[in-house]
Amino acid sequence: MSTELPAKEQHKMNYVPGTASLIDDIDKKHLVLLRDGRTLIGYLRSIDQFANLVFHQTVERIHVGKKFGDIPRGIFIVRGENVVLLGEIDVDKPCDTVLQQVSIEEILEEQRLQQQAKQETEKVKMQVLKDRGLSVPKADNLDEY
Amino acid sequence: MRTLTPTTNFFFFFFPCHYVVDVDAQVTAEEATSSLSQFAELPPTPPPASPPPPPPQLPVPKPCPNGAPSPPRHKPQSRPSFPYYQRGRARGYRGGLYREHMFEDPAVMRIVEGRPNIKSLDSAIVDFGNAMYRENFEDWMVPTYRKNRRDSGSLLQDSAIVCVIDGPRGRGQRLDSPYPFSCFRGRREPRGLYSRRPFCQRGLSQMQAPVPETPAFSRQPLTPRQLYNQTGRFISHSGRPCPSTPQSLPPKVLQLRFGANSPTPSPFYSPSSNPVQHFRFPGPVTQLHPQHKRLLSQKQRISHRKMEDLDPYCNIMTAKEKEWIIRLQMIQLQSENPYLEDYYYQEYYRRIEAKMAEEELGIRGKREPPKLTTPYITKTEAYTPVVHIEGSLGQVAVSTCYSPRRAISAVHGVQAHTSHEVPKDIRQQRLEVLSQIEKLFMTLLEVEESGRKNSSVPSESEGGQLKEKTQWTAEHIYTQMKQHNLGEPGGEFLPFLFVSKGKKLLARLLPFLKRESTLKILHIVTSNLPTLMSRDSEESLPVLYQPLRNVIAALTFSQLIRVLKDLTSSESLSTYECLTLVCQNKFGLSLLYALLSQGEKLLSSGVPLEPSIGDFETWTDTIFQVAGQLSQCSLVEPLNLPSNLLTLFCRYLDKRTVCQLKCNMESATGFLALPS
Repeated sequence: MSTELPAKEQHKMNYVPGTASLIDDIDKKHLVLLRDGRTLIGYLRSIDQFANLVFHQTVERIHVGKKFGDIPRGIFIVRGENVVLLGEIDVDKPCDTVLQQVSIEEILEEQRLQQQAKQETEKVKMQVLKDRGLSVPKADNLDEY
Repeated sequence: MRTLTPTTNFFFFFFPCHYVVDVDAQVTAEEATSSLSQFAELPPTPPPASPPPPPPQLPVPKPCPNGAPSPPRHKPQSRPSFPYYQRGRARGYRGGLYREHMFEDPAVMRIVEGRPNIKSLDSAIVDFGNAMYRENFEDWMVPTYRKNRRDSGSLLQDSAIVCVIDGPRGRGQRLDSPYPFSCFRGRREPRGLYSRRPFCQRGLSQMQAPVPETPAFSRQPLTPRQLYNQTGRFISHSGRPCPSTPQSLPPKVLQLRFGANSPTPSPFYSPSSNPVQHFRFPGPVTQLHPQHKRLLSQKQRISHRKMEDLDPYCNIMTAKEKEWIIRLQMIQLQSENPYLEDYYYQEYYRRIEAKMAEEELGIRGKREPPKLTTPYITKTEAYTPVVHIEGSLGQVAVSTCYSPRRAISAVHGVQAHTSHEVPKDIRQQRLEVLSQIEKLFMTLLEVEESGRKNSSVPSESEGGQLKEKTQWTAEHIYTQMKQHNLGEPGGEFLPFLFVSKGKKLLARLLPFLKRESTLKILHIVTSNLPTLMSRDSEESLPVLYQPLRNVIAALTFSQLIRVLKDLTSSESLSTYECLTLVCQNKFGLSLLYALLSQGEKLLSSGVPLEPSIGDFETWTDTIFQVAGQLSQCSLVEPLNLPSNLLTLFCRYLDKRTVCQLKCNMESATGFLALPS
């Protein structure tokens, strides 16, 4: 293994070699997916030993289809256990995406429609199953593990 | 008991620093000096220059570089003496510490201070973030002083002092501000006010003021009362200049250090981070590789400067806080047997080192790859969450949020009882074997771990005990495996040997077993070789080759003959068929070669062989059979081709046959059967 790693990696390695740590992610822009499905984007300002996160200039991004909308949220403190994944966003990298940004109202409306459609299909499915004498327990009744 | 001179400056103890204290801490002179050096730090171009105030333990204050009236500089001859502290120290430790512990940061760990050793005195081990001025030290650092430091302890730890300090302030205030200038409480002060200024400045300016006012320290030992008066005065004085900070209370915690005990100028101090020092760990352990720390500080310095231009909100989390978290995580990472708990990292690191060692043969002075070295801290008792009541059968049924009602795990017990009576089906059997393999593997890991410890620790009395235990455990695994029998005698171990993981288990176990056990295993393997070879779909038999080869190397002639007999005489197959199969299997062929090679070695060594009756005949017969086989069928490439095989054949066979054999063997392997 060459010791001539890029500076960034060397910096990382210096702290705690052989481990994963959030220390190097501080003050960088991140995207975090929470357990309730929300996506937050913000600058990670502080962490603690439980991986609780403090985000600055946070934006909640809602995706519906190919559209997305950003809701500015300010400062967020996320409890560590609610994080599904967390990844750094490279601000320098050119963003060529097919996604189209829309206004907040529009995206919320889209989301509402999406939820509605989902509920409709779910209802139909349950009815069909019921007719056949089967039942699928709802997700919130299941033991999480 | 050593006595310290009375000419101690008492104003040290409320130097606004944060320390970790341990009940049994013995402040060593080295640590004292090192902690002193801690406070010598200052960025190279400080704003209104005042050096950091000296740490409390040290009786001799650090002189200010700017020439402000400094605390009386003590001549090397002066020794601080605190006889009463020594008396009361034992009590003081306890009393003061328990109180401290109440308010202490829960993340702070108890650190056992070790004796200083060579490493701790190593000046190459740099402490992070310290800018220390060697010259300042040498002015007033006294070698003899260091010895005395050992016994002086800290003023703060004396319960009497603590009481007095409590008194005027009252409990409320104490509760409010146990660590006035704690690095972890760094956020308590309004950031704007203090964050950008080196903390030491503030502290020292306070200190400077009261110092000239105090009467010159007399040379007699101060009575406790006198001392308290002093401290009271100092406290009040230091409290004045900064009303926003909590009243300065003596830092309750000793600053322990590890790593650098001699000061070294450090290149860096971040202006935004609190210069008040963070925790140090005792004596002999370095936390981060010294080059790590240098690089770390350099990188930080650069990044800090860059970042502040771009991002006004950066560094909300100070370096101190980051370090704290890192330390916390490191402590959680530490383990007594890393090979067991962190196998993959250890293996990875070992491979990197091996590779670098290879490369380094050409390149000198190569830097070591960074390794995670966790701080050395005695581990506290692990909390066992499983509730077990004595006399109960198995686990107590405890409701948790994940398992509202937990059944007692009795499944395995039931199975064990019925194993002899009820004939199990094949699948059940196999499952049992698999689960048994897993269990035995865990035991094997323990055996290997203790074996590793044995090799590192030279054999002492406990080494002998450990060896015994290792031996016993290994034999235990052996007997466990032996019980699994396919029905026939000589069928022990076979269920394990049919599973590739079982083969691995056996291969790793063999080095630890007694000789009889290893012989037994060799016997089993060779007797059932055809079956094993046919059922070895994953080709994992070769894993057994090396350990078995070691076993073979220790065989006597008679034993060897017996093994060869096993190999060549199977119940269902004739010798010819056996040998054919053997020749076409990598493992089998290698085993055969190993056996023959051992025979040749024994014969040519000249050691008296003590053969049994018929041994030599069997031997020669086998040779001829094998030779015939080897020359006729196509051979696979063996794992290893012993060099003395042809010598062996030359002994018994004519030249033509030998040549033929040679060609055949070489064509299989691709290299010469005999080193030319």
